[in-house]
Amino acid sequence: MIDLSVEIAGVTLPNPVMPASGTYEVDPVHEGFFSPAELGAVINKTIFLNPRAGNPPPRIWETPCGMLNAIGIPSEGLHRFLEEQLPRLRSLGPPVIVSIAGNSLQEWRDLATAIGESGSADMIELDLSCPNLEQGFIWAADRQALSEAVSAVVEATPLPVISKLSPNVRDISEMAVVAEAAGTAVVSMVNSYLGMAIDVETRRPALGNITGGLTGPAIRPLAVHSVFSTFQKIRVPIIGIGGIATWKDAVEFLLAGASAVAVGTQNFVNPLAMREVIRGIAGYAEKSGFSSVRELIGLAQERHEP
Amino acid sequence: MYRSATVIEVQQVGREYVDLLLREPEIAGTSGPGQFLMVRAWPGVDPMLPRPFDIVQCSPREQTLRLFVKVEGRGTALLKSLAPGSEVKVTGPLGQPVRDFTFSSVAFLVRGAGAAAVVHLAQSCRSRGIEVYSILSATTASRIVCRDYLQPLSTELLIATDDGSQGYGGLATELLDQLLERRTIDRVYTCGSRRFARYVQRLDREGRSAGFVFLEGLMACGLGDCHGCAVRKKDGSGYYLVCRDGPHFPAGEVEL
Repeated sequence: MIDLSVEIAGVTLPNPVMPASGTYEVDPVHEGFFSPAELGAVINKTIFLNPRAGNPPPRIWETPCGMLNAIGIPSEGLHRFLEEQLPRLRSLGPPVIVSIAGNSLQEWRDLATAIGESGSADMIELDLSCPNLEQGFIWAADRQALSEAVSAVVEATPLPVISKLSPNVRDISEMAVVAEAAGTAVVSMVNSYLGMAIDVETRRPALGNITGGLTGPAIRPLAVHSVFSTFQKIRVPIIGIGGIATWKDAVEFLLAGASAVAVGTQNFVNPLAMREVIRGIAGYAEKSGFSSVRELIGLAQERHEP
Repeated sequence: MYRSATVIEVQQVGREYVDLLLREPEIAGTSGPGQFLMVRAWPGVDPMLPRPFDIVQCSPREQTLRLFVKVEGRGTALLKSLAPGSEVKVTGPLGQPVRDFTFSSVAFLVRGAGAAAVVHLAQSCRSRGIEVYSILSATTASRIVCRDYLQPLSTELLIATDDGSQGYGGLATELLDQLLERRTIDRVYTCGSRRFARYVQRLDREGRSAGFVFLEGLMACGLGDCHGCAVRKKDGSGYYLVCRDGPHFPAGEVEL
């Protein structure tokens, strides 16, 4: 029997597979597909301090092997999240990661403090990298802003902090180094790539927000490279994200150096995707003679002769 | 539910449409009027996303689901080329079923393939003794679809085409106006045209009939996860999701 558990920042995940924030709602509809208790961790759609409506439609656009989205993170705000959603996440069983986003350093602090004090979260993920917000500001694309936001949260809460980084930078591994220096316990990469599409029928940008974030298997080789090139530069663990559709894709990220993975867009396509990925990883590791999935982490690095 | 369904029959209707009959016992046994399915008829990740389709008919006894597809892009072209016996992935039933049948007459004002959205509902109304009036509209006769399904359910079925090639050569809304002058219609459901939706919104506002609109939205999942299919609430308090809160809405509640 293969040991699927992994440890990130002192938190043991029963397996290395979790949803990417904002792609999997915990509700009776989803519990009808498979039990969220099977997941390595659960995570909410990013919350802001105050309620937000999100962007005007059209919000999504299909692209080859992927999609663009400009949802704009609709959010019920911190208060309702603490009252309603967080207790539900806590009750499921797996470790709870709470994804937050602030519009200012003070908001980052306030959110982190509140989540820490709730006692219901195991980790906090900082969404420093959504490309679809009205201010157009990506914290993780600016060294100083990234450093200040991570530091502010680390000071505000004892919970381990995950910094979700943006691929819309010259070198994401350098930003991972910045986040580590600021005290992050984990980095997750990548968020979506800034892009756009134009509807040739209307001759207008396809998305209401004009630009959007590209996700799905189309970005996977770029994301795998991000993880691979970051692994040797930092000591903190990496959560690999970007176009994982099958267990093979997830194993690729583990071999590149990710300690855990998140499935995003594929949850829209196949409601059983995460369960299939978990079982597929187990089958692969077992067949390949490993006793723990942890043995896979970073293996591709060792065979890399510079 | 997420299931493999078996293709029973693929019938081409004119140049632009496909009538698709699937077998999947559990979804056929639990689908309500107004609900839809997400369908994926190809392996791999290109096209990436499943496609939403109204459940035109469902038969728990036959374990079948009927979909009516307008062939427009790559995904729908792949559906058209399916052979009987092949398997497709379906998620459903999705969306809210119509639950309230406390009315005694209903009109369906539909444009083109929008007719597919109301057949199941018309059946549910008819079986409860509710009088059904159907008004089918299209640019031209070849785009009047689902008539054979709606005809036996309707007390009266009227047709309007823009070019006069079938039925009334003018606006279908004029036919609805005439119907409303002749008799009381408790509810009007519309699908397939923004102009119709706005018209039904006005009927509703003026108290001439209770209006309901079936809406479409670009959606990736149909499950409320992707938040793609947002439609603005009339009261300005944010957005509904077509997949989770709809696909049908009281006409007064949505911004069109």
